[in-house]
Amino acid sequence: MGKVQLQISRRTFLKSALAGSAGLAVAGGHAIPAVAAPEGSAEPPWFYRGQIKTTYSVCDMCPWRCGITVQSVGDRVYKIDGNPADPKSRGMLCARGQGGVSFMYDPDRLRSPMLRTGERGEGKFQEVTWPEALDAMAEKLLAIKEQYGPESVAVFGHTSGEFWFADYFAQAWGTPNAAKPSSSLCTSPREEASNLTLGFPVGGHEPVDWEGLRCLTLIGSHIGEDSRNTVMQDFAKAWGRGAKVIVVDPRFSSVAAKADYWLPIKPGTDTALLLAWINVLIAEKRYDADYIAEWADGFDKLAAHVADLTPEWAAAITELDPELIRTTARVMADSLPQSLIMPGRHVTWYGNDTQRMRAAYTVNALLGAYGREGGFYFNKSPYIEAYPHPPFAVAGSAGGCSAEPGAESAELPVGPSGKARADGARTKFLRGATAMQELIEPMITGEPYPIKALIVYGTNLLNTVPDVPRTIEALKNLDLVVAIDVLPMEHVAWADIVLPEATVLERYDELWTVAHKTPYIALREPAVEPYADTKPAWWMARELGMRVGLENYFKWETAEEYINTRLQTIGSSIEKMREEKGIIVQKGKPYFADFKGSSPFLTKTGKIELYSDELALAGQDPIPVYTPTEDPPDGFFRLLYGRHPVHTFAKTQNTPLLHELYPENELWINAGIVAAQGMKDGDRVWLENQDGARSGPVKLKATERIRPDAVFMAHGFGRNEPALTLANGKGANDAQLQTRYILDPISGGAGMRVNFVRIVKEA
Amino acid sequence: MATNAFLLDISRCIGCQACTAACKTGNELPAGTQFIQLIEQTRGTFPNLEGGFQNHRCYHCTDAACVSVCPTGALFKEGGMTRLNRDVCSGCQYCTDACPFDVPQMVDGRCSKCDACADVVAAGGTPWCVRTCPSDALRFGDRQEILAEAQSRVAAIKERYPKARVYGETEAGGLGVIMVLPDDPEVLDLPANPQVPLLVNTWQKVVQPATMGLTGLSILVTGVAAVIARRNHMQELKLLHKEEAKADESK
Amino acid sequence: MTTASDREEKVLRYRVGQRVVHATLAISFLMLLFTGLMILWPPMAGLAAGGTSGIIHRVGAILFMAVPILYLIVDRRGAKELLVESFTYDKDDLAWFKHMGQYFLGHAVGMPPQGRLNAGQKLHHAGVVITSATVVISGILMWYAKGSLGAGGLAMAATIHDLSMLALTVLLVGHLYFTFVYKALSSMTTGYVSKEDAEIEHPKWIEEMGQPQVTGD
Repeated sequence: MGKVQLQISRRTFLKSALAGSAGLAVAGGHAIPAVAAPEGSAEPPWFYRGQIKTTYSVCDMCPWRCGITVQSVGDRVYKIDGNPADPKSRGMLCARGQGGVSFMYDPDRLRSPMLRTGERGEGKFQEVTWPEALDAMAEKLLAIKEQYGPESVAVFGHTSGEFWFADYFAQAWGTPNAAKPSSSLCTSPREEASNLTLGFPVGGHEPVDWEGLRCLTLIGSHIGEDSRNTVMQDFAKAWGRGAKVIVVDPRFSSVAAKADYWLPIKPGTDTALLLAWINVLIAEKRYDADYIAEWADGFDKLAAHVADLTPEWAAAITELDPELIRTTARVMADSLPQSLIMPGRHVTWYGNDTQRMRAAYTVNALLGAYGREGGFYFNKSPYIEAYPHPPFAVAGSAGGCSAEPGAESAELPVGPSGKARADGARTKFLRGATAMQELIEPMITGEPYPIKALIVYGTNLLNTVPDVPRTIEALKNLDLVVAIDVLPMEHVAWADIVLPEATVLERYDELWTVAHKTPYIALREPAVEPYADTKPAWWMARELGMRVGLENYFKWETAEEYINTRLQTIGSSIEKMREEKGIIVQKGKPYFADFKGSSPFLTKTGKIELYSDELALAGQDPIPVYTPTEDPPDGFFRLLYGRHPVHTFAKTQNTPLLHELYPENELWINAGIVAAQGMKDGDRVWLENQDGARSGPVKLKATERIRPDAVFMAHGFGRNEPALTLANGKGANDAQLQTRYILDPISGGAGMRVNFVRIVKEA
Repeated sequence: MATNAFLLDISRCIGCQACTAACKTGNELPAGTQFIQLIEQTRGTFPNLEGGFQNHRCYHCTDAACVSVCPTGALFKEGGMTRLNRDVCSGCQYCTDACPFDVPQMVDGRCSKCDACADVVAAGGTPWCVRTCPSDALRFGDRQEILAEAQSRVAAIKERYPKARVYGETEAGGLGVIMVLPDDPEVLDLPANPQVPLLVNTWQKVVQPATMGLTGLSILVTGVAAVIARRNHMQELKLLHKEEAKADESK
Repeated sequence: MTTASDREEKVLRYRVGQRVVHATLAISFLMLLFTGLMILWPPMAGLAAGGTSGIIHRVGAILFMAVPILYLIVDRRGAKELLVESFTYDKDDLAWFKHMGQYFLGHAVGMPPQGRLNAGQKLHHAGVVITSATVVISGILMWYAKGSLGAGGLAMAATIHDLSMLALTVLLVGHLYFTFVYKALSSMTTGYVSKEDAEIEHPKWIEEMGQPQVTGD
């Protein structure tokens, strides 16, 4: 009898592991006793092979960072699912997240610390012990600090552990030159436009109040293709409810196929469309007048500014039907204030991106969307104290796509030897987080001061920063290059010191704190021991800190100690968080009512600044204007790039599972063009850009889904690193074809959709 | 066992492939094996386009041609699902020809297709694809409830898609995957009326047993007759020899 | 100890080439039969798992299809004779069919006089030739046209294949039956049969041959 009951209760546990039901508490934290497999098949499925251990963590397969449950049996991880308690994943997970196991078990992973033995770029290394590698790194860093000052060390950081190097170590060490690609190569324009217009940044999770949304407008956002789990869930619900969807995109994307209105706009002309929409909303008095009167500043100047910017004016620029422009403006207005334009994520397109984003936010303001149910909620960071470290040697300005409100200080941070950022902030561009691509120049020219060392943490340098030849030149010029990574990405071959990292499934990591409608904190615990001789980033940062005189910043000995110290400030602990399924959810202040009369907008005027004095003072357009971007020359197409649903950045192309699902990228090109040029679908061609840079061969995808003046490919392919055994040599590399970019004079973003390619049939 | 069914809402699927990946990892499918394939579909010419994704997978027909032709019982019906026991598959590939949806694949010489996560469901779980679908395009449960959900979803999208319909209520005897289609099935590369030819059903159910029976019968009859006939022949020879001997003697 | 049979006079019934062809046919047929049964008969299905039987079936099929070619190569005359005789029936043959039941029950004495092949053997051979053709054609369809047959085409081909095999198997059973009843195995092992038996069952053949040969070729 007792035995039967035991079996039943074990089955209940198994059910909770397999069904992912949020309600079922699992006794004893997270271990599910072994359940005998039913008789029959030769090898039982993994969940019958022994005791199932469920570990709570946060996915690192894309920057969205869903809460996950990691299911392992013995020392092997079998399955990752969404954590039902997590406000982002809600128990579901995308293809990339599912690939986390495969990413960890990639046989091409870096195994051991290494020191360079050959020339830089040759990729010749010898394996060494951790103390040898870290001693060598510390010695070199201290010598550079001695001669040039701590500011001469640049730190590039990306992925989950970036905090330890690009934020914590960099600030303790004293360099303002820490940068993340998620800022100036991705979200800077939308963050700065938001700071300028609303007084706070967008933050990681776009604060769309999906539940009541009635009309959604997307400009170059690719729901589905970008695999943002929560957004796909929310979109599906809103769409299923019958919310109107307007998609502006030169390409008939997966989400464009779901849209009520698709506007196949000429690339680079979005601001003209936005201004025409503003014109219609104002001219036809369809905007939320009460809201504007109460919460906006500069409306009259805006109205005068757009008076002549009619749909007919925009139609000539955008190559759209003026009636379609007018109709969509009306459709948006019909649903206000439950109507908005999504901020999008990767918005560094044409170098005038902050202005475009301000135009989009202006539309949102006219629709009365901010702070309204069904519009945008005001997100809030969860309350928890930082680890009580001594004051940092320099304030942080690395930003990042998950930049919390206030993360970027108004004053430029200055390092211990009196030097501010070397990226040209305030001179080449106005404001914003450190611009990664602008730190390359000082490495080559030594202006405004030399950068002599580069620590690359998890950033896929040669597939991310535009103008690869220039980056290579910088790499040759540096005194020290350190690569910290999981895989032998292309730039690793250029490093003097290689530090292999444990994946997120093998390590503790800093608490994940998310500004959200319901602010929350997520725990990241390891499911299994690190692979080979790999180590977590916190351990590396600490060991390095201890060797370069930063002992005071690393008083904690383990990550658990660090995390528990922080959790103590909100009366929790790792142990307690485990019982709460790894998530602590707090209360937010999502709507106007939560501010009890005070303004939620943190601009100087306390209002939405439709007219920006700050921009006017800086000599920039105070109200967005349309500035044309260069058209492709004859025979060339504009090179658009983006995501495939199963791949993230240039990170996952070698992950066996995801590689199998999409092994090489294709060149989307208008079927009519393909036929006219005597080519056919599936032909392999090379691409040559305006500067003669080549990449390929890549398969043609002849499709009706794209305009004739542009081509599109998924980012991250066309790799040239033999150590990436699966990804090497497959498809074309958009980064290699981006030999130029246009710097956004406001945010420092690098507009990368300004490259053109032509098709050549041979290498 | 209750009759279960999947809901597959083609109109809502956004092609993220979470289902494909979850299926591969949860079921530990080897490289080269996929139970779900998402195929991009595009109709029309730029800029007047429609499109979506075909979610190509086993549709778990009630009148499953693959089960009808499977000689070894590796493919069988259970709880509304078409299940597969690879241990007894002989790799004859009849199923690959018989399937009206072109679903079964041969992997390492044996049939490979969706088993509706039978082990997971038996342990109280949800099929991996359903559990992870961010678009709520997939569900799994009692067939009647799933059918009702499909019908209400079709009603809800009629304004967007006037040709929207439920697919799988009656097709091939009723599918175990009830689909919400935004358009006619032919337009979405699905057979309008997936049918199992009569011969497919008679072949395994009538011809093969009859063949076995007749063969057995012939062996039985000849086995018995052989004893008698051989004795007859021996006697006949003996008699012949006797007569010859007599004749010789008489000479 | 010597017996009467040791001193028996023998006649050559099948030349070496014919016996090799027969053995090839028999072996390939048995390979095909058993590997085929594995996918036909559920109790044997476990043996087929994994597809090795499918490969053996294909090897058997190639051997089986090679038999006519082999026959033409090793014994062109024999092949021609077999084909011609199997489809040529005279009055005695027709009479033989009338008394078939008697022959079936072991009574060869008193049957109408037969040539090299009795009417039953002719019919057997004709049946083997025809159903071999149908089994080969349907088999080739299932082998090479897989994927393009469609469910109906597959079922049709498989049905023909099954029915042909039914016929061939029943023919085999009969074949073995008469071999057993009339102790005819030696004709395909050594090639020789006793002249006495041959005179009873194939008197016209003995007559045609005239002087019996005593040695092999």
